[in-house]
Amino acid sequence: MRRQIPAIAGSLALGFLAAFPLVYGAADYDYIMHLWITAFFYAILASSWALLAGYAGQFSFGHMAFMALGAYTTGLFNNYFYLTSAATGTCFEIPFGSWYFVVLDPIGISATPFSCLDAAREAWAGNVVVKKPSLWFGILFGILVGGLFGWLIGRLVLRLRAAYLALFTLGFSEILRSVLSAELNITRGQAGLELDPLFPNGITIFGAVFDATDKLPTYYVMFALFLACIAIMLALERSRFGLFVRSLREDEDAAAALGVHTVRYKVLVFVVTSMIAAAAGAVQAHYIGIITPNILIILQMALVVAMAVVGGLESIIAAAVGAMVLYFLLEFLRNSFTIGDVTVDMTTWRLVFFGALVMLTLRFQRNGLLYPLIESCTRSGVAEETVAKRVAGASASEDAEAAK
Amino acid sequence: MIDLKVNAVQKSFGGLHVLKGVTFQVQGAELIGLIGPNGAGKTTLTNVLDGAIKPSSGTVYLNNARIDHLPPYQVAQAGLGRTFQVTRAFRRMTVLENLYVPALAMSAGKSQKDFQAQAMEILEFLTIDHLRNEYGRALSGGQQKLLELGRLLMLDPDIIILDEPFAGVHPKLMEIIYRYIHRVNDAGKAIILISHQMESIFTLCRRLLVLNYGDLIADGDPETVKNDPAVIEAYLGEEDDRSGIGSAQLGAPGNA
Amino acid sequence: MEFPLIFWSVVLWMIAWGVIGGVVTPRVFLRKDMDISNAPLAGAFVGAASGPLGLIPLWHFAPQTTNRWVLLSAVGTVLILVTAFAVADPDNVCVTNGDLVASQITNGLVMGTIYGLMAMGLTLIFSILRVVNFAHGEFYMIGGMMVYYVSAVWLPGTPPVVAVLAACAITFVIGGLFERIFLTPMYDGRVERPIEYAVLVTFGLAFFLQYFVQALAGASPVKARRFFDFPIIRLPSAEDPWLIKTSKANLTLFDTVSISNPRFTAAVIAILVLLVLLFFLYRTWYGKALRAVSQDRQAAAVTGIDPHRMNMLAFALGGMLAGLSGAVLVQAFSWVPQVGMLPALRSFVIVVLGGLGSLPGAFVGGLIVGLVEAAGTGCIPDPQRAASYIPAYGMIILTLTLLLKPTGLFGRKE
Ligand SMILES: Nc1ncnc2c1ncn2[C@@H]1O[C@H](COP(=O)(O)OP(=O)(O)OP(=O)(O)O)[C@@H](O)[C@H]1O
Ligand SMILES: [Mg+2]
Repeated sequence: MRRQIPAIAGSLALGFLAAFPLVYGAADYDYIMHLWITAFFYAILASSWALLAGYAGQFSFGHMAFMALGAYTTGLFNNYFYLTSAATGTCFEIPFGSWYFVVLDPIGISATPFSCLDAAREAWAGNVVVKKPSLWFGILFGILVGGLFGWLIGRLVLRLRAAYLALFTLGFSEILRSVLSAELNITRGQAGLELDPLFPNGITIFGAVFDATDKLPTYYVMFALFLACIAIMLALERSRFGLFVRSLREDEDAAAALGVHTVRYKVLVFVVTSMIAAAAGAVQAHYIGIITPNILIILQMALVVAMAVVGGLESIIAAAVGAMVLYFLLEFLRNSFTIGDVTVDMTTWRLVFFGALVMLTLRFQRNGLLYPLIESCTRSGVAEETVAKRVAGASASEDAEAAK
Repeated sequence: MIDLKVNAVQKSFGGLHVLKGVTFQVQGAELIGLIGPNGAGKTTLTNVLDGAIKPSSGTVYLNNARIDHLPPYQVAQAGLGRTFQVTRAFRRMTVLENLYVPALAMSAGKSQKDFQAQAMEILEFLTIDHLRNEYGRALSGGQQKLLELGRLLMLDPDIIILDEPFAGVHPKLMEIIYRYIHRVNDAGKAIILISHQMESIFTLCRRLLVLNYGDLIADGDPETVKNDPAVIEAYLGEEDDRSGIGSAQLGAPGNA
Repeated sequence: MEFPLIFWSVVLWMIAWGVIGGVVTPRVFLRKDMDISNAPLAGAFVGAASGPLGLIPLWHFAPQTTNRWVLLSAVGTVLILVTAFAVADPDNVCVTNGDLVASQITNGLVMGTIYGLMAMGLTLIFSILRVVNFAHGEFYMIGGMMVYYVSAVWLPGTPPVVAVLAACAITFVIGGLFERIFLTPMYDGRVERPIEYAVLVTFGLAFFLQYFVQALAGASPVKARRFFDFPIIRLPSAEDPWLIKTSKANLTLFDTVSISNPRFTAAVIAILVLLVLLFFLYRTWYGKALRAVSQDRQAAAVTGIDPHRMNMLAFALGGMLAGLSGAVLVQAFSWVPQVGMLPALRSFVIVVLGGLGSLPGAFVGGLIVGLVEAAGTGCIPDPQRAASYIPAYGMIILTLTLLLKPTGLFGRKE
């Protein structure tokens, strides 16, 4: 019975989340929906980082870089690629059936960019069809690019352990950030790359019409992504992948001596978690509508680490729940307050509180605050099992131990 | 038929020659003891055979397939398993999960459930079945040794190298390991047993290899080896005689 | 750049041969029964500098080839790169203006000294505790903040020396306390996988300190006064009857090399501290004990050195060195709570380059990184872009080091 508690609680929570946008009706609807969407985003990141760090023991500080790769890939795709029914003659273009696949020149950072396509449009006088490829292709590309870089980084760090790995991945993240800010002709740097919303023309679900700024469709997209990622990760965790990845975290040499292809699984875990991070980044980028290189500042990485640590590094679910709880806490602690004539600026103090929480959790509750709760349910009865035999006193090994 | 050919294996670390051309062959379900003073190169030889380190020169063939220069996981899949001198249980995985790792690594397309019965049988045999859901770290040192042996049974290799299974083990537990060795051997597997416990070596093994600072100085049945002047010389040269290979066993005066 | 094709094809040629050398050389050495820990580095440099002309002899004469080959090739690689750059971009300021080059080199060395000092703190901690302190940049930031607050806010008019000492004291105390509270459980096996624990907990500390300071001091930039004004000596005139006047201007040597006042002061202090540090490590009991622990923990414990005390001392000292670097640089840059990020990353690069745990390595690494950064910011045509790429220069060095010689230039094998 007790072992079922986490599963029951989980199903209840999922039911609640699935119904929430339909039943919630308060005035701050949009705000709360925004919080949930972002909470899902962080939950995906924290749980995939937990898979990478907690399960596989690869303490990478470059997770946000993969998220940003997803976001920027779909962002660039969204801004640079068009399909036209006639040749522009001004842009770089590839014939594609009866269509032309057009790539714009760098858009630069001027407020009103004039592209080669605009030039062509003037010449066409309006009788040529110009359309953007579906942004879902961009998101898909983002995921693939994330996976590709995950593979690359995974190969590069094969021989690096612990601190070296953390340094290297942090470095990778910083390089990416400097490239994104420096190449502002292409990425628009700190000016920010704008993206279409997920459903630029709105969407009709079961007869209800939602326009591009409505939160509900995005909520369900993010929720579905969250569920899909969690499902994939749980399936992996329960399969041989999870077993092998944990064995190589515990002892790489011993795992290899038992026939585990450690290299393959180490790289694979990088690929999988990078793709998941990239997916979250790509969808969130379209939701927010603008991305800057600041999405991968260390603060973001630190938040994800904090969420996973406080939830429980060694459990995907605990990390995800921890992320949601901490994200809501962060939001609700945002309000500054005044005691006497001293104003406490909570926007900063909440982060101080966060840092302290992470350190104290690590120090006194290494497995996080949530995971032990879950474990105490799923592993209930184990101790009794062990003791039962001890009480019977039949085991030879027990005697041997007693003699030691 | 199991066939391990070790041919002129050399290994040096920088300038230190740890193995100086070791040659021997294992054929069929032999039970071989490998002895030698501390630092003789026994563990290094194990590491070379298992692929954890590459030999500087020489070849190793297992069942007519070359296995030196293969990575450890391929060596394991080719049929050579080993334990570690210092136990290396997966500490934050349950005992059962520890056993599933080699089982799944050896067979594509199966799941943990398929191996549950086999794992339970092995745990019962090793008398640690009551600990099946405990984490590896919760086990005592001796129990962790048993767990490592259990993992090897799941891997089911043709040839097993046990690196000092008796170190720090109570006689009761030793008996279980004896039973284990017989079980594996009776199942037609070859065993190379590294130990400083002469008594066990002499009771169990029908062939003895003696490694002395990189040279294989003797290879033969225990009686002959015991009286081999080179071996006696090697053991007399030992300053630190904590290996327990005293005059009693070798029939030569010790160096107290 | 006028002839980018020339430059980039030279670079590509070098990379290609560097990769070939780096990959093939270990195999060749392995076949010759040699130690291969230096092989990728040797192969890559020889390949990059001389292509097949150097690689084939390197492989052929393998055991006789010495480290001198590697050193010569490293110098050769740099020279070829510089030459290619000069030929490809003849109008670049770095090519036409010798004064600027001299200034950049001097500035690179000046900054490199301070970088080295900060990195030494990191490497000192690592050599004793085997912990990489991810909060190193925050110690640097706190050092600077402390100087600003003491000398400009709390006690205006305090001599800079006092402010710097206060910065040292506070970072020393924070380091010591943190070690005592959070790192002690690592030593007695109460923490599983202690290295990962240390990575996470110092990362948490960084986060905590950064926002703690921001909560107290605010996020707007502050700037400290210069410590010291240079004297100008001239003949008295009617309008200006003083013989000696102080000036805030740059220090100008031989009319060519110009170093800004704050950087110069900082470097002089850094060198003084370095001397004190060396004296401490090599001449005092505590210093000798520290070095003993870093070389062999068990042996040191046997001789009566309390390793736990040494851990605490090392962490406190390491934090203090970072704090000191910040304290001397706060007069050169404007200061925000996030200011530690870049220096921290740079220190990581330096210690990996020099070899984690090696003090001379940290110093030499600091100089190298200082020079590379000076070249990068001074010579790359588009200055804004060059500045954006500052973190990347170090990371390229880091990546190359990890790929070619993970133990670093002066590193010991673990
Ligand atoms: N990675 C290594 N690098 C350098 N030297 C090594 C390395 N591994 C082993 N050695 C050296 O090789 C020699 C043989 O070591 P090995 O562990 O094989 O001895 P052993 O016979 O197993 O000894 P014991 O009975 O004490 O277990 C020792 O002198 C050891 O110092
Ligand atoms: Mg050994």
